[in-house]
Amino acid sequence: MKSEPVLPQRSEKTVALLWLAVCLALAVALAVLLPRSQLNSSVLALLPQQNLGQAPAEIQHGFMQRLDRQLVWLVSANDQEGEAAAAWWQAQLHALPMLKQVSGELKDDQMQRWGAYAFQHRNGLIDAATRARLQNGGGAQADWILAQLFSAFAGVGSKEIGNDPLLLVRGAQLALQQNDNKMLLHNGWLTVNDAQQRRWYFLHGELASNAFSIKESHQLVTALNQLELQFKTRWPDAQLLTRGTVLFSDDASQRAQHDVETLGSVTLAGLLLLVWLVFRSLRPLALCALSVAIGAMAGTVLTLLCFGELHLTTLVMSLSIVGISADYTLYYLTERMVHGEDATPWQSLHKVRGTLLLALGTTAIAWLLMLLAPFPGLRQLAVFAASGLSASCLTVICFYPWLVRGLPVRPIPAMVWLARWLAAWRRNNWLKRGLPALVAIYAISGMLQLHVDDDIAHLQSAPAKLLAQDRQLAQLTGQQADQTWFVVWGDDEQQALQRLSALTPTLQQAQQQGWFAHYRVLPLSSLAQQQQDVALLQQAAPTILERLKQAGITVAKADLSAMPVTVGDWLASPLSEGWRLLWLSLPDGRSSVLVPIGGVKNSAALQQLASQQAGVSWVDRKASYDELFRFWRTLLSGLLALALLLITASYMLRLGVKAGMRSALPSWLSLAAALATLGWIGASLNLFALLALILVLGIGINYTLFFSNPRGTPLTSMLAVTLAMMTTLLTLGMLVFSSTAAISGFGTVLCSGIFCAFLLAPLALAPGKRKQR
Amino acid sequence: MIRTLCLLLLVMCANASAVTLEQLQQRFASQPVIRANFVQVRTIEGMAQPLVSRGQLLIAQQQGLWWQQVTPFPLMLILDDKRMVQSMSGQPPQVITAESNPQMFQFNHLLRALFQADEKVLRENFELDFHDRGNNRWQLGLTPKAAPLNRIFSRIDLQGDAFLNRITLDDKQGDKTEITLSDTRTEPTQLTDEERARFAPAQ
Repeated sequence: MKSEPVLPQRSEKTVALLWLAVCLALAVALAVLLPRSQLNSSVLALLPQQNLGQAPAEIQHGFMQRLDRQLVWLVSANDQEGEAAAAWWQAQLHALPMLKQVSGELKDDQMQRWGAYAFQHRNGLIDAATRARLQNGGGAQADWILAQLFSAFAGVGSKEIGNDPLLLVRGAQLALQQNDNKMLLHNGWLTVNDAQQRRWYFLHGELASNAFSIKESHQLVTALNQLELQFKTRWPDAQLLTRGTVLFSDDASQRAQHDVETLGSVTLAGLLLLVWLVFRSLRPLALCALSVAIGAMAGTVLTLLCFGELHLTTLVMSLSIVGISADYTLYYLTERMVHGEDATPWQSLHKVRGTLLLALGTTAIAWLLMLLAPFPGLRQLAVFAASGLSASCLTVICFYPWLVRGLPVRPIPAMVWLARWLAAWRRNNWLKRGLPALVAIYAISGMLQLHVDDDIAHLQSAPAKLLAQDRQLAQLTGQQADQTWFVVWGDDEQQALQRLSALTPTLQQAQQQGWFAHYRVLPLSSLAQQQQDVALLQQAAPTILERLKQAGITVAKADLSAMPVTVGDWLASPLSEGWRLLWLSLPDGRSSVLVPIGGVKNSAALQQLASQQAGVSWVDRKASYDELFRFWRTLLSGLLALALLLITASYMLRLGVKAGMRSALPSWLSLAAALATLGWIGASLNLFALLALILVLGIGINYTLFFSNPRGTPLTSMLAVTLAMMTTLLTLGMLVFSSTAAISGFGTVLCSGIFCAFLLAPLALAPGKRKQR
Repeated sequence: MIRTLCLLLLVMCANASAVTLEQLQQRFASQPVIRANFVQVRTIEGMAQPLVSRGQLLIAQQQGLWWQQVTPFPLMLILDDKRMVQSMSGQPPQVITAESNPQMFQFNHLLRALFQADEKVLRENFELDFHDRGNNRWQLGLTPKAAPLNRIFSRIDLQGDAFLNRITLDDKQGDKTEITLSDTRTEPTQLTDEERARFAPAQ
């Protein structure tokens, strides 16, 4: 120990200046990046970027983004007032600048334009049923036209038969109405009747922009809530249902913000109090704040550099990082507080530096393991934590020897208790053997009650009111929220349409097999198909007109010219009303169409069906999330077991078999106890619990390392570990109270695991080692 | 003020004719099954001759409407609470269910209500104009109140005595459909097995 420098050397000055330069650079980067970045609060962003067959990522992203922008309302009031109430609501929505394309009542001219477009393009808009009737000479179409003419229920008028003698518009319209749609047109409104014959009016709107910040979302939701209050005062008996992703994401971000504000301030206050009680000086507070601030700054800059945005949950979870990065400061300051009189700051630093770096290394590796998880939010957190912790630790090592001069030297608070605890660990075999045994019993009995649950729905903790509203809306409109659909894509519009028409017959078969209940296919054919249709028409028309003539019906000559409908035209026409959301074209021309599937019974078979078709993939969002959750939970369990084995092996190599086993025991038991707590409180094992376990391993190892530091004194280590445990519980413990189920479960596992790691950490003390102070 | 006045007038008119319409309603209610022959004449503007079809129909309060056109070509329609099926030889039946197409189904359902003079359904959709023509004969004029009916029909007339005898549909384009019922029978008051089988769900 005599080679330890007493005074700072030149190299240390250089290192400090270098680190200062880095910090300044980080500050500049932060000042540049922060104003341009956005805070992401979409819950979906926390979830994995799905690996959906081969559908191009931009297409999936485009669809998802657009879907998340949609808002739907159903308005219902007493008999006569429903329409007035719906119209009032539509007017209010129109006035909101955050919404665009609010639609409700269809004006007469809109319906006329609808009819005009359908008529002008009738030869290009032939449906599958009409196409089948036109085959084989067209006799079937002739019979069908006669039936329509003679049936009073069909109501074919003189105008219709005069303008469209082949009744093509009628055929296409009938086919359209066969599509799954519960809506009724009533006085220009789309309406739906419930079981009590109460009429609901349908309104639709879209968020005005893609990048809706948390603040804008909240403004919108607040405005909507206020409008709803006014609505309820005007029509006390009226009912209003709303659906939109924005409601859920706003709720989640409001709760997260609430967590940050309340839990964050409680955590901060607790930390300050703890530091003041131990050190009786304001300087450690300032030093803690400095290392935490530099850590947070480095974390933010690196996250922004890597991802271009910061997720709200990253901010919430980084509360935990505050606690961990304070550990390093606390370890060094404890060392200084105890040995401040007989060692220079640099001697103290050299005593703890190796342990600090080892601790940083293990914790950082634990965090970086999370980069493997396919969750963008968690990846951000991993980068944030690893870089933030490194910066905090480097701040301690580079700056603090310069900054601690004059820190008051105090006896260790509660020294008697800590010393007794340590002594008991050395001498009392009952404690040494009994406590681990007790923990083991707790762990095993708890783990027996543990069950696994990968259902993503159980992690969502949206308020019951929103969920009930969503369910009622789904029931009324038949538009389920369980996003199941086929994605059909192609290099250009026409290829996408051709693939769509290739898929359609197999869908009919699948429906007959009972694999699903209903589906919606975009009513548009490719240009090639339209050409074939016109040829078919020209072939069949003479026969049809002849047959009608035989039945005594003379009609005008049919116009059999091509009336091609391009995708662009169609999308701009009133005909695509209600269908546009299913179509997406990228700027490079690649195009895609969704085929929503309802009442799915056999997701695996549909997956199989999609894999047999070119350019088709099957999306069952919830099922695939559940599957991903399961996959990653299993993978991380394996990684965790591997890490444990590696750590145990490294201990055994370093310390010998017996001592190595003893040092590794706290890690094993703390992980087991954390799992057991989940079992005891009746929670289930999921991916988030696994991620917490990784942290338990990383942080718990710190404690063991602090104790096994051959240069440290056990009592100082004991104090540092106690402080570290308390700060961790203060910070991560707060996560238990988070209103988001996933975060709270994360907190539970962490707290129980870390407390157990703290309890058992003295096991790592070398048994024969002399007590130094 | 004007609205109140109109409303008042409407209530008074309804009251004035309520007794007879009610009687009619009761009469129809006492006829759970009606069998008849029909002649339908559809006059479509611009067409040299009207479309005339003949056949039989069956209206059962529980099951619905069965419509069998015999000439000039066979065509069968079944209309019940849940679906409308149109079948003709050599083609797959065209089925419209309340689930798959409430719009069209509602319309058809309304037409069925005409045959049964279902006052509740009629009153919801039409302004009613009831006249006693003497000798037990009556006429009920219907003017549609709301879209989409008021875009299709200008007026619908029902005429009858002990039974419904004639339905006349005047549509907005000047076309006209007249359905005349004859040889109306109400016995037996229950459907025979064969008749019941016509409404069986199999298409």
